[in-house]
Amino acid sequence: MAATETFYDVIRRQGITRRSFTKFCSLTAASLGFGPAGAKAMEQALETKERVPVIWMHGLECTCCSESFIRSAHPLVKDVILSMISLDYDDTIMAAAGKQAEAILEETKQKYKGKYILAVEGNPPLNEDGMFCIDGGRPFVEKLKWMAEDAMAIIAWGACASWGCVQAAKPNPTQATPIDKVIKDKPIIKVPGCPPIAEVMTGVVTYITTFGRLPELDRQGRPQMFYSQRIHDKCYRRPHFDAGQFVEEWDDEGARKGYCLYKMGCKGPTTYNACSTVRWNNGVSFPIQSGHGCIGCSEDGFWDKGSFYDRLTTINQFGIEANADQIGRTAAGVVGAGIVAHAAITAVKRVTTKREKTDA
Amino acid sequence: MTRVIAGPFNRVEGDLEVALDIQDGVIARAEVTTTLYRGFEAILAGRPPSDALVIAPRICGICSVSQSIAAATALRNLAGGRAAPNGYLAANLAHAAENIADHLTHFYLFFMPDFARAEYAGRAWFEPTVERFKAVSGNASAEYLPARRRLLEIMGIIAGKWPHSLAFQPGGVTKAIDIGQRVRLAAILADTQVFLEQTLFGVSLDDILSMQTEEDLEALRARSGGDFGAFLDIADDLSLRNLGRGPGLLLSYGAYHEAETSLLPAGIAGLGGVTPFDGSAISEDVAFSWFSDTAVTPYEAETKPDALKEGAYSWAKAPRIDGKPMETGAAARLTVAGHPLITALIARDGGTSVRTRVLARLVETAILVHAMQGWLRELRLKEAFSTHFALPDDARAAGLVEAARGALGHWVTLSGGKIERYQIIAPTTWNFSPRDRTGLAGPLEQALVGVETGALGAKSAALQHVIRSFDPCMVCTAH
Repeated sequence: MAATETFYDVIRRQGITRRSFTKFCSLTAASLGFGPAGAKAMEQALETKERVPVIWMHGLECTCCSESFIRSAHPLVKDVILSMISLDYDDTIMAAAGKQAEAILEETKQKYKGKYILAVEGNPPLNEDGMFCIDGGRPFVEKLKWMAEDAMAIIAWGACASWGCVQAAKPNPTQATPIDKVIKDKPIIKVPGCPPIAEVMTGVVTYITTFGRLPELDRQGRPQMFYSQRIHDKCYRRPHFDAGQFVEEWDDEGARKGYCLYKMGCKGPTTYNACSTVRWNNGVSFPIQSGHGCIGCSEDGFWDKGSFYDRLTTINQFGIEANADQIGRTAAGVVGAGIVAHAAITAVKRVTTKREKTDA
Repeated sequence: MTRVIAGPFNRVEGDLEVALDIQDGVIARAEVTTTLYRGFEAILAGRPPSDALVIAPRICGICSVSQSIAAATALRNLAGGRAAPNGYLAANLAHAAENIADHLTHFYLFFMPDFARAEYAGRAWFEPTVERFKAVSGNASAEYLPARRRLLEIMGIIAGKWPHSLAFQPGGVTKAIDIGQRVRLAAILADTQVFLEQTLFGVSLDDILSMQTEEDLEALRARSGGDFGAFLDIADDLSLRNLGRGPGLLLSYGAYHEAETSLLPAGIAGLGGVTPFDGSAISEDVAFSWFSDTAVTPYEAETKPDALKEGAYSWAKAPRIDGKPMETGAAARLTVAGHPLITALIARDGGTSVRTRVLARLVETAILVHAMQGWLRELRLKEAFSTHFALPDDARAAGLVEAARGALGHWVTLSGGKIERYQIIAPTTWNFSPRDRTGLAGPLEQALVGVETGALGAKSAALQHVIRSFDPCMVCTAH
């Protein structure tokens, strides 16, 4: 890892041709909504700028974000980005283990001080001083703060890192807490969804590593290029909503005709995400296309808004509706960041002293 | 005697630590620690039962369909209902696709890269193994990942989105497959078959499916130019058949149910044969887990964390049947189903081993692709994919299914139309169970005893092979 290595150097070393590289730039530029000039600018940036290392960490989570990410549709995007990232650190797929992995983190922290991106999947639980998620013998929350200190910016992958997700659902047994309630002094980009769409994830990483800065964010901290429209706005079943044609039961006659799922509890009208345009699993489908409503998994607090199968009562059937920012203001953060203090010896201390005694 | 802590482990789903007592280069005692807990059971209590279909899958992004199907099965059993025949078939197709993907990911990305470790330099197979399987740089992942992505398009067609799909309901699936989609599914299965035959096995699926004896296996190995043959060569050179002996009893809840039958039966297998499975004999013990004492049957147990509990060392509970630990997974499923080769290998070796666990997974991928082709043909496209029934207000029932890694159960009690209690026992909870109140160790804890770590101690590859041969899913384990 030479200090001046560029992204282009890395992918050439992976055996990727110049031609594929050019194609990669034009495809990615297109997916980010840039024209031909944007592709050229990307190419130039990737050839001349120092590569931005990405460190990927896992907290309290289920790995669905990683699962989504490694299935990104464009094979080159996946290979390039996976190799870029795994050069550095990822818990699930990288080669190093144990102490070696910790050493990579330490090295990146020093060598790329202020220059690396910290991508976080999952979130820290704060109850019992973080003992519900122990990573390398210490609470994840400590490791997160330690790696965040010297990061340029933080990517909060998925609903867990962005908002808390189902593990923060009432009664939030572990006090699972989103990243921006713990890290206050760094730019954070939220890429919500449970999981987020693969192409959205690769798009975000590519943008940041190419231009060395975050894309434009909305007031909730999400990249505007992917989260400015509602599922409902681009839903292929929308004409049936407008015509008042609804599914009343799973797989009924209306379902076979592709009617609207609003009465089955679809949250498409209040959910900002790219599912109805980008779609899932190689652009094959998305939940509404499988006959089930949207549950709004990219929205803050989606897990505690009543049954997933209750119909929305807050939307207007026709006419002008609220924009993303207004929705954002009403969806108040439900997760506090209180730390429960223990009068007696703390759980973490017990765990770490046990290790010191036993670690040979 | 020295005590070392191994971990965190990479290429494992979630967080894991193992404390080892090593004497003269041999593991004398192991304690397996699950280090992550989220409290899904407490979160599910008090909610409408249908919420389990959304919340429970989010326990795990790797085996979310298994969690969905366990929840849907539990709700169906609460109502005493039946799913539409097409619903079973479509759910089986998606579930099998996920399980095949899990098995192959384990083989290509998690398990095989350990043989490219420097300690094996000098072995005849080392150079080709590094070139093929070394993490990140090996050429196998470049072939496998596109094949996997293609296979998982099945999820797009049937379930809309994966992980965390929503299409799986108590009455079947929300998606009615049409004729064009049936053709697309068949094409995906054909591509998967090509990958298995040309890349993984190097012989036809029929060859793999007709294997009965060790002689058959040896004959195929001689012909296999695939990764399967490479694995067997390495396994024999390193005597992996003698590494990581399981605790003896193998559990399967039975898998891939249809309206009247299931592809794989339920049962408990030991060296003496297969005995019927009785769900009421399942208990969970928390003597060494960070939970306060509670009822032992899953229907009545509460899950209350106690992080300061004296002597505890894991967020996993210790599930037992009649007081005995059970190993679960593909080797258990195939043995309970009476697969002649897997049964013979376990009998020969005196139990499960690293080699048999991996072999059983690969054989199962062939069985599943074949079964999926059959389910696809059985679909009656004009008939219903979902039935409808109301859930009772007060009832209790379980949903017992098989995830890729083994027996997965959801136990649900409803009261006044809400979830009163929800208990989950996941496959790795069985395999990576801590000790119980009698001091009896869990399957991995037993399998590690006697493993030679030599001068490398906790860094030895043998330790990695044993742990990874169970294909742990730690986020499911304690949930």
